[in-house]
Amino acid sequence: MNFIKKIIPMKDFTLRSLMQFEKTPLNMLMFVITIALLVAFGWGVVEYLVHSHHAYNITRQHPWGLLIAMYIFFVVSSTGLCIVGSLGDVFGFKDYMAMSKRAILGSIVTILAGFAVIAFEIGHPVRMLIYNVLSPGLTSAIWWMGTLYGIYLTFMIIEFIFLMRNDMKNARIFGLTGLLVGLAAHSNLGGVFGFLNARIISNGVFYPTYFILTAFITGIYLTYLMYGFRYKMQIPDDIKKGLLGLAKIQALLLGILMFFETWKLMTAVYGGMPGRADTAEHIFHSAGFLYGEVLCGMVIPFVVMLATKWQSIKLYVFTSFIGMIGIFFMRYDLVHDTQVKPLQMMKITEYQLPPTWIEYFPSAAEIAIGFGAIGIFFMLYYFGQKMFELDATEH
Amino acid sequence: MKIIETSRRKFLQGSVALCVYATSSFSSPIFTTKTSDKKVKDIPYLCNMCRNKCAGFARVENGTLTKLNPNQYFPKSRNMLCPKGNAGIQALYDSDRLKYPLIRIGERGDGRYKRVTWDEANEYIKDKLLKIIDEQKDNRSTVAYCNGEGFNKDEYIKFFGSKLGSANFLDEGSICLNTKLGATQLTIGDIGEMDVAGSDYMIISGANRYESLITPDSVDMIHAKQKLIVLDPRCTMTAIKADEYLPLHPGTDLAFCLSMIYIALKEELYDKAYVKKYFQDFDKLQKHILKNKYTAQWAEEKSHISAEKIERITREFFAASHPLYYLGRRSVWSANDFQLRRAMVLINALAGSINRKGGIIFGKPFRLKEEEITEPFYNNAEGRFDLDGIVYGSQKGGSWLNFREKVINQTAPYTVKVLFVRKHNIMQNMPNITKTKKMLTMMDLVVVLDTMPSDTAMMADVILPECTYLEREDMVVSFNRLEPSLALRNRVLAPLYESKTMQDILKGLGKKLSTPLFEISSKYDEDLQDAIKEQGKTKAFNEGGYNLAELYKDDISTRNKKLILTQFDENVYVSLKTKGVWHPYIENQKNLGNDLYEYYPEDKRFYTVQKKYKVNCFLKKLQKYGFDAMPTWHDRYDFKPAKDSFRVITGRYVTSTQTATTNNMMLKDMKETNRLWINAQVAKKLEIEEDDYVIVTSSVSSVVLQAYPTNKIAPQVVWFAHGFGATAQELTNAFGKGASDNMIIEDKFEKIYGCATMHETDVNIRKL
Amino acid sequence: MANYGMAFDYKFCINCHACEVACKEENGIDLGAKNHRLWIQEDGNTSGDFWNLDKDKVQFMQMQCQECEEAPCLKACPNGAIYRDDNGIVRLHKNLCDLTMACMHACPYGARYVDEKRHVTDKCIFCADTRLARGETTTACQITCPAKLRYFGDLDDEKSEISQILKERKHFTLKSELGTKPKLFYLE
Repeated sequence: MNFIKKIIPMKDFTLRSLMQFEKTPLNMLMFVITIALLVAFGWGVVEYLVHSHHAYNITRQHPWGLLIAMYIFFVVSSTGLCIVGSLGDVFGFKDYMAMSKRAILGSIVTILAGFAVIAFEIGHPVRMLIYNVLSPGLTSAIWWMGTLYGIYLTFMIIEFIFLMRNDMKNARIFGLTGLLVGLAAHSNLGGVFGFLNARIISNGVFYPTYFILTAFITGIYLTYLMYGFRYKMQIPDDIKKGLLGLAKIQALLLGILMFFETWKLMTAVYGGMPGRADTAEHIFHSAGFLYGEVLCGMVIPFVVMLATKWQSIKLYVFTSFIGMIGIFFMRYDLVHDTQVKPLQMMKITEYQLPPTWIEYFPSAAEIAIGFGAIGIFFMLYYFGQKMFELDATEH
Repeated sequence: MKIIETSRRKFLQGSVALCVYATSSFSSPIFTTKTSDKKVKDIPYLCNMCRNKCAGFARVENGTLTKLNPNQYFPKSRNMLCPKGNAGIQALYDSDRLKYPLIRIGERGDGRYKRVTWDEANEYIKDKLLKIIDEQKDNRSTVAYCNGEGFNKDEYIKFFGSKLGSANFLDEGSICLNTKLGATQLTIGDIGEMDVAGSDYMIISGANRYESLITPDSVDMIHAKQKLIVLDPRCTMTAIKADEYLPLHPGTDLAFCLSMIYIALKEELYDKAYVKKYFQDFDKLQKHILKNKYTAQWAEEKSHISAEKIERITREFFAASHPLYYLGRRSVWSANDFQLRRAMVLINALAGSINRKGGIIFGKPFRLKEEEITEPFYNNAEGRFDLDGIVYGSQKGGSWLNFREKVINQTAPYTVKVLFVRKHNIMQNMPNITKTKKMLTMMDLVVVLDTMPSDTAMMADVILPECTYLEREDMVVSFNRLEPSLALRNRVLAPLYESKTMQDILKGLGKKLSTPLFEISSKYDEDLQDAIKEQGKTKAFNEGGYNLAELYKDDISTRNKKLILTQFDENVYVSLKTKGVWHPYIENQKNLGNDLYEYYPEDKRFYTVQKKYKVNCFLKKLQKYGFDAMPTWHDRYDFKPAKDSFRVITGRYVTSTQTATTNNMMLKDMKETNRLWINAQVAKKLEIEEDDYVIVTSSVSSVVLQAYPTNKIAPQVVWFAHGFGATAQELTNAFGKGASDNMIIEDKFEKIYGCATMHETDVNIRKL
Repeated sequence: MANYGMAFDYKFCINCHACEVACKEENGIDLGAKNHRLWIQEDGNTSGDFWNLDKDKVQFMQMQCQECEEAPCLKACPNGAIYRDDNGIVRLHKNLCDLTMACMHACPYGARYVDEKRHVTDKCIFCADTRLARGETTTACQITCPAKLRYFGDLDDEKSEISQILKERKHFTLKSELGTKPKLFYLE
């Protein structure tokens, strides 16, 4: 333990103290939710181990489902928190200095939660680790994404160590490298979809850039949530300034996102290109897009921030929660919408109407693992803040 | 052996349990097995998934059949295997197969059986049979026997007919195509063969050659440069692929044909030289047709095919150089079926398309010698009664419906107490299943030889498991007339479980029955008594041919070798054993591209042969019995279903052979169930949507199945495929899937060949 | 060493499923409608009312892996599990497949599926590890086809039947606009 403490300063804690927390109603609620999610995750994993992919509702036509969406959800969150964390220690914005530690810890635990999900999505995760090194698929966006995220995680951990040691110079170097690798990894994740010439709704430059943009937005939402919970809405002044600044950035980013989305849809529909226009219209009419992405993810937070003139932190914590729901739908729809248009006219038996759109709804096991991983995030974050001093100290 | 007393469900579990044991001991897969990259010696065999018979090669690896491939040497099957042929592996390894002899211990039909040894089964049959034949005073015809499989049918008849002495043989002919065979035979003196490949203009009435594959017809149609006209009340695959599809009312093809004849006569389109040379009573035909004014307008009213089209097609047909009106090969539809087939033959004859390329050819088939056996003569054996009231009828296969009717009404001249059933699912294959069930319950002994626990097997007293076609060698068979060949089914694997070949089963029965039955005959038969007095018992038995198993003294291999070597030579035998096929040009087959072959060179094919024959327009015997001597339309043939009712027609899927393949895992995968085709507009009015369950009710019974509204069927017609709706729970893949057409089809039969008419039933449809 | 391709005289197809069954038996494909290396797609419907039915739009397309020269699946695989063998066939190193299903996601033809017995993704490989491996020159689907509408052979061999027929007859490939350069050709 001491050896570890030499590398990374930690609070004094015992196993017992790790398990103890103030029994406020909110804490109790979080405790119950976390345990429930972890139990769900465990159950889902057992289902998967027993039935393998049969436990999931993924099909030949819809090979990627909720778990991929949740993986993206977590890694986007991670990248987002990394960006927020970098504002202070990398770019030297004073107002955000105090947030770095918490944000970087957040980025580490979210990506770990993401890896936990993807481990049970991929049929042979161990093979993936081995052959990622032994026979790299250099033309594969997934390979780049996976590899870069691996490096990114390493840099994030090193950055976090230097942050805890208050070695800001080194933290800055690794923070910057980590950020660049993270952005590269993240845009490659966009590339996984952008490279799909088979699925013209996703093909092109949109997703790689959109991913970076929404990552930043997600990072800000999560920062609000983390601080809202940390200080039970009684935000100290050194943080307050940063958070208020983030609200302005957030409003700007949301504005850009809405602008992007509008043009993406317009260009997709315009000209009526088969496979793109019809899919875009289908997406436009789906509840997930309208209520999830647009209303929760963009419009409500944007309007709230505009209406309150960037001054109401408490309200922003709540809108961030709504925003995160929107972010979830963005990830889920991204995965689903890419596959919603049948690649082939799939009528292969007589008594079958050819499906216009491919349907998918996650199975219980997928839901359990996918959302259960949020429990992993909660748990890791809880232990993280028990073990490390995340609040601002003298720099 | 331990006797297992089982309930119906347990029977099933028992067979499943045994299957697990069997799979380990025979290393047989339940599902698909990937073939290896090793070369193995393929075994030539003949397919038996349907009546057609294609040739193939079987790949066996480590005692497991892994793949069936087509055989390029067989002129008939044109180097192809259809989905059913490919799925033969699943028939062999079907876990529901009958695995050992069973004797009924419950009520008939409740599915409770006990497992017995072959000897116990034979003993049981012997005891029952002796008692019955003794009671019937040696009237051997009290034993009826039937067979639905083409191969080995003659051997089966030789056992029960020639040797055991029963006159009551029934086969699928009277629920299939006897009218077509009869009409051709009676009109041109031969059943002939249709040269589809040589025809440049072909009309098909109803025969669905692309969903009921018959080689070489189906294959030749795809490649032949011909205009194809299809008449059908349902838009089948054949109709879709036709150059011209003529939708019409069911049962009105005869009107179309009569009109074609009328136009040909009126416009003198027919081949005058041919008519002059071959036609008998042409003047009568001419007078009859012209007098009745079977004009195109008249036919339009009857059939719903426009007069303009009828006229144009008739002219095109007679102007073509090799026109062919395809005679079909399927079950009988309507009361006018015999005359419909005759009208088709007459149309071909009027065009001169007989005994020439692209027409009905006589050809020159190889005639295989029969093995000689001594047939005993039984004085007390009565004749068959199922052809009473039938004009012609098949003396060989009789008339099922008339037979059944007389048995259940007890109007037969003597009682039939015993029924041997081989590969003939009579509980599913003839109209009005309730009556078949009644007939079976009236029997004192029902013995079923089959590979599967079919609905019929579940009505048996004794079930004898026969092996599948892949586990036996069969006697060499001669195929085709235009490009004749010999083909031999070689054994691919030894019989699985305790199943046996038919020959071995009959041999066992013969050994058991011969002497005791001889004793009964000697009790009642005066001639036999005299013979015994004269020659002594042993000699009378031997010389009189009372040894029922005589034919099976030698095994099939030995018999095949002997037969082939006496009639042909060593090369033929080797070819049959190594290639499964022999024809004179087998060494010099020409690849026409993409693995399609030319078998006989064009100038060696038997398009035209020397043969004396006449085209009989007028059949006096029919006139004598009060029927039409020439094809004639009667108002009762008009298509007039009652208001709000539908005419039900039947047919099948390309992936199923009647009811024989319903339990096949692979084919079930392709088509799991049947659905009721109903006209989309009509369905809309009745608020029936796709997947809705509907109840289909006829005067006989009703069935429930899912609806398939489509524009591919006429408004007053509904269709669903034959081969589904099995009631035997032991058929685990087939049970509960779809509905059985014969449950609701009324048991009507025409009186010229005693054939069941399948398309004469009207039904009501109600959404459930 | 060859460059295998296939051409379809697709209008001959009568949708009998013989190819599908032969393929499943040859290659040990699991039963179940979703497991298939090849399938027949019913394109177009009959239209109009029954008495005036237009049936000419109905056609059956032989579908399977298109053996693209620029194979999106090969590029998308993160592990390099997908490779092109000496015969130009896109194959899979089974022990390298990690089942991310990136290839399924990338394939424009929906040709890939998860082989649940072997736990890898699978597709048509022209019977490369069965028939071709033992020296045969036909695929299971080609040889069994009643219509003999499938031409299979070496595209690099000018004398091969497939090369000849592609020279003689007009043909098209599926989704050619994607630049995948399929080696499966549909003959007009």
